[in-house]
Amino acid sequence: MAPKKLRRARLSQELCERLSRYQITTCQDFLCLSLLDLMKVTGQSYRNVQKLLCKVSLACAPKMQTAYEMKVRRAVNPSSAFLSTSLHGLDKVLHGGVPCGSLTEITSPPGCGKTQFCIMMSVLATLPVSMGGLDGAVIYIDTESAFSAERLVEIAGNRFPAYFDSDEKLFSMTRSIYLYRELTCGSVLKRIKSLEEEIISKKVKLIIIDSVASVVRKEFDTKLQGNLTERSNFLARGASLLKYLAEEFSIPVILTNQITTWLSNGLAIQADLVSPADDLCLSEGASGGGKRESGSVTAALGNTWSHSVNTRLILQYHDLPTRQILVAKSPVAPFSAFFYTVEKSGFVLQETDSE
Amino acid sequence: MQRDVGSLPLAPALRARLVAAGFQTAQELLDTGPCGLSKEIGISKEEALEALQVVRQECHSDATQTAGAPGTSRKCTALELLEQEQAQGFIITFCSALDNILGGGVQLTKITEICGEPGVGKTQLCMQLAVDVQIPECFGGLAGEAVFIDTEGSFMVDRVVDVATACVQHCQLIAEAHQEEDHLKALETFSLESILSHIYYFRCRDYIELLAQVYLLPDFLSEHSKVRLVVIDGIAFPFRHDFEDLSLRTRLLNGLAQQLIIIANDHKAAVVLTNQMTTRIGQSQSTLVPALAAAVPAKEAAIPAGGHCPNLHAG
Repeated sequence: MAPKKLRRARLSQELCERLSRYQITTCQDFLCLSLLDLMKVTGQSYRNVQKLLCKVSLACAPKMQTAYEMKVRRAVNPSSAFLSTSLHGLDKVLHGGVPCGSLTEITSPPGCGKTQFCIMMSVLATLPVSMGGLDGAVIYIDTESAFSAERLVEIAGNRFPAYFDSDEKLFSMTRSIYLYRELTCGSVLKRIKSLEEEIISKKVKLIIIDSVASVVRKEFDTKLQGNLTERSNFLARGASLLKYLAEEFSIPVILTNQITTWLSNGLAIQADLVSPADDLCLSEGASGGGKRESGSVTAALGNTWSHSVNTRLILQYHDLPTRQILVAKSPVAPFSAFFYTVEKSGFVLQETDSE
Repeated sequence: MQRDVGSLPLAPALRARLVAAGFQTAQELLDTGPCGLSKEIGISKEEALEALQVVRQECHSDATQTAGAPGTSRKCTALELLEQEQAQGFIITFCSALDNILGGGVQLTKITEICGEPGVGKTQLCMQLAVDVQIPECFGGLAGEAVFIDTEGSFMVDRVVDVATACVQHCQLIAEAHQEEDHLKALETFSLESILSHIYYFRCRDYIELLAQVYLLPDFLSEHSKVRLVVIDGIAFPFRHDFEDLSLRTRLLNGLAQQLIIIANDHKAAVVLTNQMTTRIGQSQSTLVPALAAAVPAKEAAIPAGGHCPNLHAG
């Protein structure tokens, strides 16, 4: 979003003109100056400059709400606070499902089912609210060309046979999933920037990006100098744009990530096809003190990205065909794990004896 | 009264004219009076009056400072300071291990920085503190209110509801065990609704909103004088991207830190910041360090991932 111009901050016309002579036209420029600089460019006394600062700050500062008001607003519309995953155990632990208004990351070694999960969530988002969906469209940004429309229809038909009993219903569901194939970082960022208008016009209720890691790791080789900061910049900018969209429209955003391996000298390399037979234990966040065990795996894209996502679900292999889904990072859920298999109808949780 | 004209907080253009006209001390200005001033400098009588009022106010506050009047004096002995610090409360967390590490709890009038890896519990701790600052005095708390400035969007109301409910239950258990009059009376006002209504939440999307909000905080805290805790969850996030000018970033962060110290001292509040961890790639080894280090002089509490975290309020 472009920074706010000073005239919209209710400063007087002559003051704005005077400031524009010093190339200060936006609130951003104004607030970044020190008090002495401000006195010089506005030509006013210390006290007046403080009053001006308050005025400009009022124009930029966010609105205050109490936690109670937030709770009441949530209580008025409880179903719209989460998108149920239709996996009962997972929903219970996450207090409802994938939260709206924040970023959720699914990360796993290749082949565990990230894209399957994303396709399943797309179906769920188009369902009516009475069935636990959000009754809206889905924007699916695919960077790996892994999306399969046939699989989408298969999951829908097998998971909700009673609802999708006619071809008509299936087609209307597929019509509301908008697929974008983006193959470079720049085009992904451009697409995210253009999403605001699409969300309003198409009544979108879910954004999926599958996958962030593949397109970033193709373009940025962190062993080359300068690439690490550029990569962090790109990721941070993407994350803040997506957060803005998620919060503004109160919709969930699902992103997928890959697993990488930490070597003993602490530098990460891209993991090749991780064999399911290896008993790799995922150490999310690794051991403390900055010392990494040799050969431990962790989510890719670095620490900065890990800070940006609000919820992180990890999929990993167990004894084939059973796999495991872990809730690794969540503001509302404790660390928990569930076993699942991938079937025709999508994910199916195994009921465990120990509850 | 002998204050030099060049040091007065007047508009720079006016100040330059006064100096050029030959005025040297503030006393001279006051003696000349508004009419004389306006004739000599060539400004209107209203402007001259305004300038003289500023000068008078400055000199008055200077005088009270040098006279050592109580309240405005900034000088005291170390013993007085010690007594003040000991009498000051802490924000307790009902978690003795954590309170012990911090020396009693989160200290007022100081800045505490919490850094840790993603997912380790920084926001959880902040949410807990926002509830714990409101614990009534008879239970050992401060009966204060909290300001929560969120830059990352990880504040979840549902989780705060869980923590607040558990806190109220804990206090009820204490009250039942002790059966004292003031405990039961305090519990009447210490409820879920009142706790939530006294957490003031601001969502800052970028560093401009954060700067603006911190400029407005002193006025907000003067209106809401019971606030004893200011949490900024994610001081690093808005500054870590889109900043080509690193010197500007350092200057803004230092300015923020200074403003927060002033706020902490003037309003007797605790300021808690959370910071991200980043990886510093060294010659042979990479280490985890707090991002944006050394901008803020603060008491640091680093939470190691995988280490034994003290038992926080479970939902």
